[in-house]
Amino acid sequence: MNYFAGLDIGSTAIKVAVVDEDGKLVGVHVTPSGSLFYKNAKEAFETLLAELGIERAQVRYLIATGYGRKLYKDADDSISEITANGFGAHEVGKAFGGVRTIINIGGQDSKAIQIDGRGGVTNFVMNDKCAAGTGRFLDVAARNLEIDLEELGDYHFAATAGPLSINSTCTVFAESEIIGLLAQGHGKGEIISGIHYSIAKRTARLAKKVGLEDRVYFDGGPALNKGLVAALQEEIGREMVVPERPQTTTAFGAAVLARAEFFAERAERLAEEKEAMAQDAIAKAVAAHCDGPQCGPVGCASHAH
Amino acid sequence: MNGPFDAKRPHLSDAKKPHLIEAAAPPPAATVVTAKKEPLPFGRGKQAQEAERTLNHIVDDFDDNPQAMQYFYELFRKVYCRGESIAMEGVRIGTTCIHAPEELVYAMGATPVRLCNGSYHYDQIGAEFMPAKSCSLVKATLGMLNSEDPVPRVGKLDLIVNPTTCDQKKKASAMMQDMGHPVFDLELPNVKESEASRVYWRRSVKQFAEAIRGVTGKRLTRKNLRAAIARTQRAERAFRVLDGFRLASPSVFLGKDAFLVVNAYFFDDLDRWCDAVEALNIELKERLGKAVRAAQKKAPRIIFTGSPPIFPNLKLPLLIERSGGVVVSDETCSANRMLYDMTAVDEWLVNDMVDSLADKYLKPCTCPIFTKNEDRRRRLLELVQKFQADGVVYQAFSGCQVYEMEQRSVAKTLNENGVPLLYVETDYSPDDEGQLSTRVEAFLESIKTRKRNRA
Repeated sequence: MNYFAGLDIGSTAIKVAVVDEDGKLVGVHVTPSGSLFYKNAKEAFETLLAELGIERAQVRYLIATGYGRKLYKDADDSISEITANGFGAHEVGKAFGGVRTIINIGGQDSKAIQIDGRGGVTNFVMNDKCAAGTGRFLDVAARNLEIDLEELGDYHFAATAGPLSINSTCTVFAESEIIGLLAQGHGKGEIISGIHYSIAKRTARLAKKVGLEDRVYFDGGPALNKGLVAALQEEIGREMVVPERPQTTTAFGAAVLARAEFFAERAERLAEEKEAMAQDAIAKAVAAHCDGPQCGPVGCASHAH
Repeated sequence: MNGPFDAKRPHLSDAKKPHLIEAAAPPPAATVVTAKKEPLPFGRGKQAQEAERTLNHIVDDFDDNPQAMQYFYELFRKVYCRGESIAMEGVRIGTTCIHAPEELVYAMGATPVRLCNGSYHYDQIGAEFMPAKSCSLVKATLGMLNSEDPVPRVGKLDLIVNPTTCDQKKKASAMMQDMGHPVFDLELPNVKESEASRVYWRRSVKQFAEAIRGVTGKRLTRKNLRAAIARTQRAERAFRVLDGFRLASPSVFLGKDAFLVVNAYFFDDLDRWCDAVEALNIELKERLGKAVRAAQKKAPRIIFTGSPPIFPNLKLPLLIERSGGVVVSDETCSANRMLYDMTAVDEWLVNDMVDSLADKYLKPCTCPIFTKNEDRRRRLLELVQKFQADGVVYQAFSGCQVYEMEQRSVAKTLNENGVPLLYVETDYSPDDEGQLSTRVEAFLESIKTRKRNRA
């Protein structure tokens, strides 16, 4: 059995996905990026293969994507995470009736992507070099409030008062704003839901720039946060699809592309071989019919007309 | 930043030499010793490293660069990396924009040099006294003028002509004066369609001629103006021929080299520049005949527009071409807009020539400082069609309001015509290269997917 893999080396997490010959997902693995991108990515890939009982040689094509894609030289090809995300969401979205708009919030950037009916990217926008409205923003907030990232959703729904408004768009300034709110005696729940709405508003503005169409697919690590999902849903006011494992859509997309690329290359090779064989056959046939200088209209290798 | 190429090219020690040449030749053996002992001024090192890094990308990241490009690579190494002085004949007139008619400068025996600067190092110097949100181009130009060690080394300027274009450049005028530079404000209208603006502009141009006369003491005559127009027309002709080679598909000439060629026009000797471009044109013709390819056949063809790429800030065009795209043409004031339009003279009399010059610098200009600017959108569509482009990349320097604002109307027009657009807001700082490469690659990939689907 042949397999194909996508390796998404993000700023915060490394995601690996493997698909089989039919393009069906057979397994995923997620691990923190740390500081040694290459080493950690290689380990993540090997861990997943061991888990699935697949030999490295069985993985016939590997595409790297994400921030660290250029560092992973063992890959057959690399592709930007925007393209990979598009194809991944297109595949996953089929089960929900198809998606045309993707909102992705990652560790250090957020994007809105528009795709066509085949998963190809038609337009996209990305936040500028600033951590506001990204996973990093949530990270900083959780640390200030001394809670785990996983708990953010629970606090959001447990808020006893309406969401507070967080006005700072800068992560660093928001940090002092949060501290100020805590000092005023506000509860963690109201602050957290306030943060979620602040990110959701920013993200919705970004998404409107690219144009919202049809269902909206929301992925990236922060999509695991139910509080943020609820806030974004409200700001966007459209049907929203959140996949089961929102972190791995891009890696899956890369794996899907790896499979397509493998078959495209094979088809090309086969076509070339076939063409070469046909040329060969013609040459042989011509040579066989050679009767000297008057060897027919085509001519042979030694008697070209 | 430092490291590998420091070892390869010891530019830091070279950098001291021009100083010494200027200081009328002490014995060379002694100079080497002092150069080593004396720590290099901080600025020179930074500026030179930045230039070196860009040049290495331009030269080493691409195979088989045209031989004739060596002239330009070496010119930039000399001027930017080694800090050699530029020999300028007679009176030196600095310009801060393409709107200053250089024919008048040449006619009255002066030499123009365009001061618009692309260095992040000078951008940071400018940031010390300019508002944080002003654009990199203005900050870097003023930073360079205010620096103790300005590169390119053009020596003391006799006059700076500052066309009153965007607000930041307008206000830069007084700042340059405060620095001790003599400045002439070349008054430009805000509208270019009206007859009144044309009359106003023609009068401004005549005042500029008077100002040049004030520093050179020479009069504008029929003979010297005609000769000056002939000289610059030679450059425009050479540029047009060069531009024509970029129609070829697969490409025979890359955008990174095209930007460098026109950037050299900022400060290079006019006739020498023409010789070098004409030599390049001969070589490109041969290459085209031999079907030498500068890029893959499938490479997405890109039109570059917006804030001008000026050496060493060729970050975005380089990123496009290093990611497998080709910049086939551009609509920027550091390249195409500078040399594409030629002077059309009716009568070879001084007044008629000056009027034709004024028209050339106003009417075809697609700068977003003008109130209405349909010409720019028309020009972009024309370029897309002519060069069979697959998409447009729009660069806006953060703080350059006019380009930022015009993004909307340009995007709308391109969208209506089915032309993909990538809008990038950036500045001279290298810190967003990672993010930009993701955007550029995704854009090129989406173009490839689109083309494949269409096929």
